[in-house]
Order: sequence, then C-alpha cells, then structure tokens
Amino acid sequence: MKARVIRAYIAKELIELVRSRFILMVYLLPTMIMLLFGYGIRMEVTDARALIIDNDRSFLSNRLISKFEHSRYFDVSLDTSDEADALRSIKQARTDVIIIIPESFEKRLLHGQSTQIGIYVDAAFPSRGSTIENYAKGVILDAAASLAPARSAHLITINQRSLFNQAMRDEDAIVPGLIGLVLLVAPAILSALLIVKEKERGTIFNFYASPLSKGEFLIAKLIPAFLLHSLNIFILFLWAVYVFDVPFRGSFLLYWGVSEIYLLISIAIGMLISVVTRTQIVAVVLTVIITIIPGFLYSGIIMPISSMSGISQVEAHIFPVMYYNHILYDAFLIGEGLQSGKTLSYLLILIVYAVILLGLGRLLLKKELG
Amino acid sequence: MNRIFWTIVAKELLAFIRSWQLVLVVLYSFTVNVYISGSGIEIKPRNVAVGYVDYTGGGISQKILSKLHAPEFLPPRRFVSQEALSRAIYDKEIIVGIVFGPDFEKNWRRGEKSSLNVLLDATAASQAYTTLSYLQNIVLELSRSGMSVDIASHKLFNPNADNHTFMALTELLSVTTMLCVILTAVVFVREKEQGTWDIMLLMPVDPKLIILAKSFSQVLIILSGVVISLGFIVLGVFSTPLNGSFWAFALLTFFYIWASAGIGLFIAAIARDVMQVAQLSILVMMPLIFLSGAWTPIYAMHPALQALSLFSPLRYYIEGTESIFYRGTEWIDLWPYFLGVILVGGLMYWIGFRKIGRLF
Repeated sequence: MKARVIRAYIAKELIELVRSRFILMVYLLPTMIMLLFGYGIRMEVTDARALIIDNDRSFLSNRLISKFEHSRYFDVSLDTSDEADALRSIKQARTDVIIIIPESFEKRLLHGQSTQIGIYVDAAFPSRGSTIENYAKGVILDAAASLAPARSAHLITINQRSLFNQAMRDEDAIVPGLIGLVLLVAPAILSALLIVKEKERGTIFNFYASPLSKGEFLIAKLIPAFLLHSLNIFILFLWAVYVFDVPFRGSFLLYWGVSEIYLLISIAIGMLISVVTRTQIVAVVLTVIITIIPGFLYSGIIMPISSMSGISQVEAHIFPVMYYNHILYDAFLIGEGLQSGKTLSYLLILIVYAVILLGLGRLLLKKELG
Repeated sequence: MNRIFWTIVAKELLAFIRSWQLVLVVLYSFTVNVYISGSGIEIKPRNVAVGYVDYTGGGISQKILSKLHAPEFLPPRRFVSQEALSRAIYDKEIIVGIVFGPDFEKNWRRGEKSSLNVLLDATAASQAYTTLSYLQNIVLELSRSGMSVDIASHKLFNPNADNHTFMALTELLSVTTMLCVILTAVVFVREKEQGTWDIMLLMPVDPKLIILAKSFSQVLIILSGVVISLGFIVLGVFSTPLNGSFWAFALLTFFYIWASAGIGLFIAAIARDVMQVAQLSILVMMPLIFLSGAWTPIYAMHPALQALSLFSPLRYYIEGTESIFYRGTEWIDLWPYFLGVILVGGLMYWIGFRKIGRLF
C-alpha cells in the first residue's frame, strides 16, 4: 500500500467535491427527498369529492347524505342535475365519486322492498378509486346498520389492534422506507460520476501513469464519498425520529452498522456504473433509472414484498433495498434486532452483496489503454 | 435561417446516435423499464397474507373467512395459537391476523354483541387500511341481514381497477420527464463545460435559434422514445385502453416535452458541469413530481401547495393523460391541460433565453 499517495488522492478528491459546490447537494438532496416524500405520500384518501344525486329527498335519504357529510373521507356536494352532467364532471376530473339515491328510496325501504344505491367511482387512478369505493360502501352499510336499531342483534364489532404502528400513522409506515431509498439514490449518483468524469475529460491518464494499483485507486475514490454520506445516516435518523416522530425501538448500533454496509453497496453500484460507462450523461441516466425505480418499487413502501407475485417477487430479492428495509423497519418499529433469525441472515446477505459489488468493480476497471 | 436550424438539429441527433451507450440506455428506459414497473407492482391490496386462529367451532368464522378471496387475499392460513400468529406477523409473513375468540360464535348466535380481534401489521399501512375496511364491510353485510339496501358499485373507466396499465403509463410519464430534463440540460452544459458555448453565442446567429434548435433535437429523441414505448409496451403488451383521442395525447405530449425541455434549459442555465446537472435535476424534479398530484390528490393538499402545484407542468400532463386514456374526455374539456403546459413551458423558455442566451 502506498499510504501517502492514497492520502494525497483522497485529499484531492475531497477538495474537488468541496470546490464544485457539490458538498451542499450531498446534504441537501437526501434531506429534501426525505421531507418531501415524508410529508407528501399519503396512503389514506381524505376529502374525496363526492357528488350525491338525491332523487328521493326524503328523511332517510337526508340522513344518509349527512352520514357522508360527516365523514372526513368525503367532501360532499349535492347535485340535483341529471346524470349526464355528473358524468361530465367526472370526465373533467372535478369529481371522484357519484352516489345516486333512487326515487322512492325511503318508501321501499320502510316496506321492506329492496332498493339500490348506485356508486360510480372514477377509477382512472385505480388504487385511489378502490379506496374511495370501499369508504363509500362502508358509509352506506354503516348508515343502514344504524337505521335499523331493532335488528341490532347479530352485530359484530371489530377490535382492531395494529402492531408496530398503533396509530396507523402514514409517517411510521413510510419514513423508515424512505431512508432506504435515499441512501440508495444519493450516494450512487455521487459515485457514478467520479470515474467517468475523468474518462470524459481525459484526466484518467494520470491514473494510468500513476503508481497506484486498481484497488488503491478505488479506495481513494470511494472513501471521500463514503465519509461524506456517512453523516447522512445520522441526519436522516434525526429527521425520522424528531421531525416525523417515528418511534425507534431497536438498537442504534445495529442501525448504524447496517446503514454503513448499505452505503457501501450503493456507492459500489454507482462505481460499477462509472467503470462501465464512457460518458457522464449515460452514467447519470443509468444510475437514476436503476436506483430510483427499484428503490421505490421494492422498498416495501408501496406494497409489502409478501404480496408480490411471480417475477416481481424474484426481482425484489435481487435488489438490496428489500433486505436493508426489513432491518430498518425492524429497528424503528419492532425492535427485535438480531434475535430474529431473518434479520441476521439479511445482514449477512448485505455483507456478501457489498463484497461482490466491490470485487466486480475492481475486476472491470482497466488500468491501460483499451 | 432555416438551414442553420436544421443543421444544428442534425448535428445534435448525430451526436446522440454516435454514443451507442446512450441510445441503449434511453431505449431501455422506454421499454424494459416501463415493462418492469407495469408488470410487477400493484398498489391496491393484492395477495394480502391473512392468518387466523379459530377457537370457535367454525361456522360464522368460516363464513367470514370465505369472503376473503383472491385476488385481494391469499387463502387464509390457520395457526394453532395466537403466539404462532404473532410470530408470523413479526417476521412479516402475515399482514393481517384474525382471532376468533371462544365466545365469538356463541354470542353471535344468541344475538348479543360479539367481537372479532384483528391484528394488523401496520407497517404496510395502505394494505392494512384497505383490509380493515374490507373486513368492516363484510361484517356489516353479515349483521344487516334484515335491511334490503343493495349497493351497485361501478368503477368507471377501469372496471377491474387494473393497476398494470396504470403503472406502466405512470412510469412512461416519469421517464419522459426525467430523460427530457436531463438530456436537454446536458446538451447545453456539455458545451459550457468544454467552453464551446461562448463560441456558439459569438456566432452571427440568433442565440434563441440555437437554443430552440438544440432543444428541438432532444424533443425529437424523447418523442420517438414515447412512440416506441406507447406502441410496444403500453398499448402493445399491456393493451391499455385508449378511450380518448390518440392525437390529443400526441399533441399534449409534444407540448409537455417542450415544457420539460424548458426545465432542462433552466437547469442548464444554473449548472456548471454534468455533476451539478445530475443533482439539480433531481432536486428540481422531486418537487415537480410531488406537486403533480401523482401521490397525494391535489384537492387534499394544503392550499399553499395547491397554488404552487399550478407551476408543475407534470400536473397538467398526468391529469390530462389520465383523462385521455381512461376517462375519454372530449377535446373541448382538455383545454386547461394544454393551456397549463404551454404557459409553464413558455415561462421556462423566457427565463432560459435571458439566462443562458446571453454572453454577458
């Protein structure tokens, strides 16, 4: 090892990063993603714009409407106009759901005849549509149950107990996953440009001519990025716990350790891209495409891995996000730590992952004219 | 004048094609990438893993469980004890656990209030929410056995709430935005980095013409990417319904790509090298996406954010595209989307001309 040369190289890299005002981005970007997404993503739909067409205008239909008005999931507007107009307002994306109460609704109901309430949901955004549909059904069924006090026998209540996230807060479900996303994207983009930049400018020849070996070159390149981003592990933790009030039940040491390994992986992904590509633009686009999208899809933020099927189940196991996020959620919300065999094995998988990626980068890097 | 314009466009297109890696990456983003996101992911609950413990004889309990069927739920798995069930939830193998206590059925038969214990893994909040409202509806349905209100529920435009087409389309829109912003920005910044931009400006050619020609070349590249993706993946593999006019979508896309090229131009005006472009574009694109209503419906946002969202061209594009594809909205009702995209794009170019189109 040529410690002095490596040290000089690291110093040069650090100075370059600081000079390019890049250092601001290293800390601004993760924090911004965290705050935007943390406040931004809501799984719950509130204030859905409901248009109720009441063809009955009776006491019971009014009671049903007031049920909707008192629900925080709906923002009701009443409409006496015809259905064609209502449909047009859905087409203009000004209404999310139309609820049609039929004529002689009250009369038929009191006589024990069957009536039908129509719900028309805009499913152009499918998940939002299904959620709204479920809420609307719930409100109607609830109203029906409360309108028939005599038959309140056979009533089943649900005692629901949410584990790990008692209040069912969206923040608790999303924010830990965001750490996994941020620590994948930001370091990868930083390191993706480190080597290819030199290739494009021609300064890579300095390395060809220098006494540094390939491994030493990579160490010198990656250490500044690694150190700078290590700070983010703590910054993101503080955001999560103090701004978003996510509980932390596990061991901080485990969180820290596994995050550093994960950081190594994402930096290694960027480095691998940097080694393979020839121009910076390709490196940027490639990094964005292969980190952001799997980072989101397979993080467990949008959907749990256990509900995936077929290929996506396999793909989820290929990307490192899934393993890291499992440990993260455990550290924040569950707190079982290494006592659970699954966490331990995922930790080992991450270590193997890091070693393979770094080895691959060293293998593919060339130190001579191609 | 015209000749200069087309020469610049041809030069940029040539530069793009010469970099085969870039061509490949762009093609990958528009095809395989869109396919992966469309095929893999369902946002609505599907295959939710349910486990249960049944201390009753299993009459009503089985009736309730039988309503939890595919595709939303995996077949419920039986556990011998509540401990085993909790264990499985801790290991994330089960998302919803239902416990039928010993008194459950007895109370129900006697017509007393009976209660059902449900354990939810709330780290999967959206699945947990929806499952809970599913259960609530099932239970309400059971208890209401005298009332005769039917609910006829229709999902308009997408009756099966099929997420594949939607995710593929959304992915196409994000890729379009991302690539357009980055490619356009880099076209300018590379010249800045190499010092040839000043020379371009010194030439006896209107800088506006150069800027327009350069961005037009990128618009062409992205537009062909969209066409390929639309033809092979979105309409081809996923056979997304196209209820509106294809030409309305094509035209909206054209204007939208110009608008995002304008954002790229704006970034190019600030950034000094490709590294800064990479960071800035993510920094700029995240709020744009956030404010577009893709995650949180705009009407549910804070009023201040609602006002800000008027500046996100993606807002108009996403809503416009959903309307054209699914809602089948008529041309006449599409004007807000066209107007929004054109205004934001115009603003971006105005800033771009002033910032980057001048030497001093």
